Amino acid sequence: MNQPLITVERLTKRFDVSRSMADILTGRYPQLQAVADVNFTLERGETLGIVGESGCGKTTLGRMLIKLIPASEGTIRFDGQDISGMDRAAELAFRRRAQFVFQNPFDALNPHFTILRSLREPLHNARVPIEDHVERIADAMRMVHLPAPEHFLQSFPHQLSGGQLQRVVLARALVLRPDFIVADEPVSMLDVSVRAGILNVLREVRDQMGLAAVFISHDLALVRYVCARTLTMYLGAVVEDGPTADIVGTPLHPYTKALVQAVPIPRVDQSHDPLPIIGGVPDARNPPSGCRFRDRCPVAQARCTSEVPRLRDVGGGRRVACHFV
Amino acid sequence: MLLEVRNLVIDYRATRGRVRAVDGVSFDVPAGAVVGVVGESGCGKTTAVRAITRIMPSSAVFAAGSISLDGKDLVQISDREMRKHLWRDIAYIPQSAMNALDPVWRVGKQVEEVLVDRGGMNRKAARARSEELFAMVGLEAKRLRDYPHQFSGGMRQRASIALALALSPKLVIADEPVTALDVVIQRQVLDTFVDLQKQLNLSVILVTHDISVVAYVCDYVVVMYAGKVVESGPVADVLDSPGHPYTMGLYNAFPELGSDDRELSPIEGSPPDLMDPPKGCRFRLRCPFAIGDCMQDPPEHFVGEGHVAYCHRASEAHQLRHKAKRTETWVGVTTE
Repeated sequence: MNQPLITVERLTKRFDVSRSMADILTGRYPQLQAVADVNFTLERGETLGIVGESGCGKTTLGRMLIKLIPASEGTIRFDGQDISGMDRAAELAFRRRAQFVFQNPFDALNPHFTILRSLREPLHNARVPIEDHVERIADAMRMVHLPAPEHFLQSFPHQLSGGQLQRVVLARALVLRPDFIVADEPVSMLDVSVRAGILNVLREVRDQMGLAAVFISHDLALVRYVCARTLTMYLGAVVEDGPTADIVGTPLHPYTKALVQAVPIPRVDQSHDPLPIIGGVPDARNPPSGCRFRDRCPVAQARCTSEVPRLRDVGGGRRVACHFV
Repeated sequence: MLLEVRNLVIDYRATRGRVRAVDGVSFDVPAGAVVGVVGESGCGKTTAVRAITRIMPSSAVFAAGSISLDGKDLVQISDREMRKHLWRDIAYIPQSAMNALDPVWRVGKQVEEVLVDRGGMNRKAARARSEELFAMVGLEAKRLRDYPHQFSGGMRQRASIALALALSPKLVIADEPVTALDVVIQRQVLDTFVDLQKQLNLSVILVTHDISVVAYVCDYVVVMYAGKVVESGPVADVLDSPGHPYTMGLYNAFPELGSDDRELSPIEGSPPDLMDPPKGCRFRLRCPFAIGDCMQDPPEHFVGEGHVAYCHRASEAHQLRHKAKRTETWVGVTTE
């Protein structure tokens, strides 16, 4: 049983995009490659951050991991089993073991359901015996530091604050005691003073429940706080993978370098040096040949146009997709 | 002093009565300085600065106070006169660039409209000036022919900066100008903005919830909580030696990329209902250092040169800062 919990191989996702008149006349069906040939493994109990800018494919990747959307190519194996070809029983078991935490707590809960009903729904769906419900719900609520009194469970989402709602959303994901959760920007909708509470809960969940987690965020500082390991994505491809402290301390890929330098810190004595990056993210429907980052890269050379850099091992548990590292 | 806001009080008429969104706010904007206004959602920061432009929803009521720009009280003048100051003296960059730009007009047309209608320029001069403005903010002149939807988020924000600078205002009010942008683009837009601010010696009010953005661009900072200013002063002083527990809490709740595993402490509870705010200090119900005196309105305390905190215990700020750094200080504070 020493295999990783999740093994992702050659995972690719393409979306159809709307056709222009020229596309229709020439019979083309343009596609956008949201996730391009991603490979990684996730161990039991490991927390992995996925960072990158909007449109880099981090959310699409997270959704595929939890089977909210199918992959176009490649496989995801969960506990050795390919998640795309599951029978009904296996699928039910997978859905119990893998949970998703949505970004916006204000619309992740059904406004007509009481908090109790929202928390019970997954237990019903997973056929957990009714006599266990009270204990399961109490455990999940304790885990996320929610008050347990009756009146709280009987309240509706609109009566709670954003921070409380996000705790309920988390509790709902934890109530089935999953082995794996994917949290997509779980604090981006919350105020700073409340955010810290949710991040601390995520850290406790990580330490106490020993579940594997993928934390998707555009904010490297948040990922650093919660995750031991980080993947950096750019235009659908993983460009760097490694221990978060190392990635933040000594980023190797030119894109990660720019990303780390771009994060402002709450101190007056910070670098105002221009970023080592050129322009903005290119059109994802038509990414550059070879290395996708090359037209913004300060060290790009001719080779980067023709040859796609492979994500290769550079030691110390780190992988980088750049010809010059 | 370019702008002096004194005891500004703004109410919103609501079905349940009046909500005092801004309650006695005062701050200054020196010429050529960047002043950050920070606070959480609903603290009144946007209301307070938009009041300067008088671009307010019809439910807003100026209840008291003065806003003096170069010695002239903007609260007392007529709407007609106020319109003369907008764009020419005061420009506003709203939160979402999509709100600054009309989707059905080419961007260039919108810049020209300001230059012609408000600046009295002829079409030809306006066109030349538009190109100049676009070059200033780092956009190609040919992009003037584009519609807003053809722009990326960063480009739209650059375009709304160009629009704001069209008539060379003295004061630019930017409300969360980079919040919706990705971190790399955010940094690039901020750098452009800061360069222009220095070059043109602009005065800027920057509204944000992000203290790291304040640290990156501002000279002074005003911290607001539940409709009131709790602390203000030079950025370095306020961030390095905060005098108000709320500022301390905000800093400790903020994840910082460079620091090694500093534990974050949330501020428990949520801001008070402004319909019925607590008596005395508005932060006292969430404050780990609250004492009996906090039932009274907090006094003004000078922490340092130009650095003010409104707190009964500001004289002990030095000790409180040490306690505030410990996570357990912030646990189990709320009494509700």
